[in-house]
Amino acid sequence: MKAPRMFGVAIDWVESRTGAVAFIAPLLTHHVPRNAKWWYVFGSATLMFFTIQIVTGVCLATLYAPSAAEAWESLRYIDQQVPFGWMLRALHGWSSNAMVVMMAIHMLQVFLHASYKFPRELNWVTGVFLLFTVLALAFTGQVMRWDQDAYWGLGIGASIADRVPLIGNQVRGLLLGGPIIGGETLSRFFALHVFVLPGAAIGLVGLHLALIMKNGISEMPKPGATVEPATYRAEYEQRMEKDGVPFYPDAAQRDMVFCGACLVLLVVLAAVYGPFGPGGQPDPTLIDTNPRPDYPFLWIFGAVSLLPPASETAVMLVAPLVGVLVLVAVPFLANAGERAPSRRPGMVLVAALAVMAVAALTWEGKTSPWSPVMDGWSALPTPSHFLTGRTPLEVQGANVFQFAQCRNCHSLNGLGGERGPALDAIATRMTADQLMRQIQQGDGNMPAFGRNLDSAQMTALVSFLTTLRPEFEAPAVIPGAQLPLPVRQMPGEVATPVAAGTQ
Amino acid sequence: MNALRLLRAASLPSLCGALLSSAGACDRLPGRPESAQVAQEGSPEWTAHVFNTSCRGCHAQGSEGAAVPLMDNAYWRAATDEQVTQAVLHGQGVLMPAFGPTVGGPFTPSQASALTRGMRALWGGGAVRSPEMSGTVVAGNATNGKAIFDVACAACHGANGSSGSVTDPMYLRLVSDQGLWTAVVAGRRALGSPAWNEPMPGRPNGLTTTEVADVVAYLSSERPRSMSEMQP
Repeated sequence: MKAPRMFGVAIDWVESRTGAVAFIAPLLTHHVPRNAKWWYVFGSATLMFFTIQIVTGVCLATLYAPSAAEAWESLRYIDQQVPFGWMLRALHGWSSNAMVVMMAIHMLQVFLHASYKFPRELNWVTGVFLLFTVLALAFTGQVMRWDQDAYWGLGIGASIADRVPLIGNQVRGLLLGGPIIGGETLSRFFALHVFVLPGAAIGLVGLHLALIMKNGISEMPKPGATVEPATYRAEYEQRMEKDGVPFYPDAAQRDMVFCGACLVLLVVLAAVYGPFGPGGQPDPTLIDTNPRPDYPFLWIFGAVSLLPPASETAVMLVAPLVGVLVLVAVPFLANAGERAPSRRPGMVLVAALAVMAVAALTWEGKTSPWSPVMDGWSALPTPSHFLTGRTPLEVQGANVFQFAQCRNCHSLNGLGGERGPALDAIATRMTADQLMRQIQQGDGNMPAFGRNLDSAQMTALVSFLTTLRPEFEAPAVIPGAQLPLPVRQMPGEVATPVAAGTQ
Repeated sequence: MNALRLLRAASLPSLCGALLSSAGACDRLPGRPESAQVAQEGSPEWTAHVFNTSCRGCHAQGSEGAAVPLMDNAYWRAATDEQVTQAVLHGQGVLMPAFGPTVGGPFTPSQASALTRGMRALWGGGAVRSPEMSGTVVAGNATNGKAIFDVACAACHGANGSSGSVTDPMYLRLVSDQGLWTAVVAGRRALGSPAWNEPMPGRPNGLTTTEVADVVAYLSSERPRSMSEMQP
């Protein structure tokens, strides 16, 4: 028997018992619009990244120890000891980010082309559920790293849950598996990350694909070609018969080329930038940490950090609900009519604003210096030009400046924390009295140091701060004050009493 | 369609090429995490790391850093290892905090002494070079000290001295006798203050060892004991 014949017999044998070919063949050959071209590759790329997540995730699950005591060490083990273990983690991490990005692009394209209109409303709705499932996977995946980012990320999640009225404590308990972050928390998130959420995602992907088969791929929108629910299906089928091309190979080859390019990019990213974390040990007593969430959540982090305190509870609890509802409602608010972006300028504006807002908040979340530089006081020396020509008391003031850890939040010469303003020229803005009051009582985000510094320390510190101004730049004065203020002359400056109120 | 065909033709070879080249260099890929190597306690790398994160904020070099510069050897001539280790563990005077385990600090006694030896090896030039001026404060005579101060120090450091008063009660409350001792002995050349045995305006040959003790005793006697003494 010749080989091709044997193959045919084998196929027939399987086909007669399973009907697999009869099931798969129409999937491959179903007609898709000829003009779809490169616009429709993003969904396929998302699916490819999801497949990579499953494969690398299963491999990682065989190596990872999901216990609070061993998780962090097991990641070190995977990175250092397992051949290509670091590559596995890098692929899983980068593919996760790539999947979120690709999904966002896919969603944006569907929104701009209004592909969600009749009869594809539920395609969109399953897509929205997939979005949240994938974001949940990303968040629980961040917890799997069990490092400081994971710990504080959980802490933020738990404190948001705690704000729920009446049942906040119970919601937090459900989330963490107890009142605090512990071993149960990791077990819980592990179960979510490897069983519940992937299962949900696979189910939703299946549903999403089934709906695509049922409703067909939407055509490229044409201005004037409106969607009329009464006649759309018949027209679509007519057009596909006349003008459609089979999915395989016509459309599939573009998917393959694009997915191939994405795969190469993924491997390059993983090889060059390596795995994410693990950062420091998840120990709440280590305060020298600057935890930030992973990329998909940086914009939320940025947004939350900008909220006025009074609005926090309302916004944190209501905004996500509103967001989900609005996203789900999109196809039901407008499921007929024009699809072309040129005829829906309002929706284009909405999409552009959403993209810009997320991009700006992500940047804010990535760069905002919200954490003090915890070792600023002990690692960053006072620059020379702030010490030369100073009196012994002022030099001691510079010591107090380090001793009281001012440097952790205030920079000198560009080095130090950025929580508070840089103090290089503070003496041009504040008088000694104002400085004294600010340090003793605090203000805004600045804590009060009145109880932590005695009178000598305070005097020395203020006298040091009053020397912090560029040479020949006038020190601060109180507008309208009657008496000439005592002004610290710097070496080289001519002693001219500054008359109050002359500035 | 031509572009697509070109891509199709080029994609497979380039993918294979990328995979092959990365497989060949897999151990040297930039993304591979560094193995976490902890420098051995007491090694110069360890000392530099500890110093740079925990000490340098105050004790730097030259005119940088507000407290006595440990990266210059003037200080190491004027202090013993035991003194430095004790200062690291238990703090010193008013503004040097303790870093020892009794206050929840980061260093064990053995680490503190390894740090001291490491710093001396890096910056101290080996042994204590002026043994007669090392160690703790020697008791002196405050009355003699005032006379010496007026001649040797007051031009710069007196109440109306050109570089600011060291008899300012606020200053004296922030600097312990040990701190005064170190300041007189080591000086701070980068900020214009000579060491004890270097020329001073009224003393071309510096001070003698007894005179150092007397000056420190005088300054110590000027330190107000309570807030009420500080009222004008």
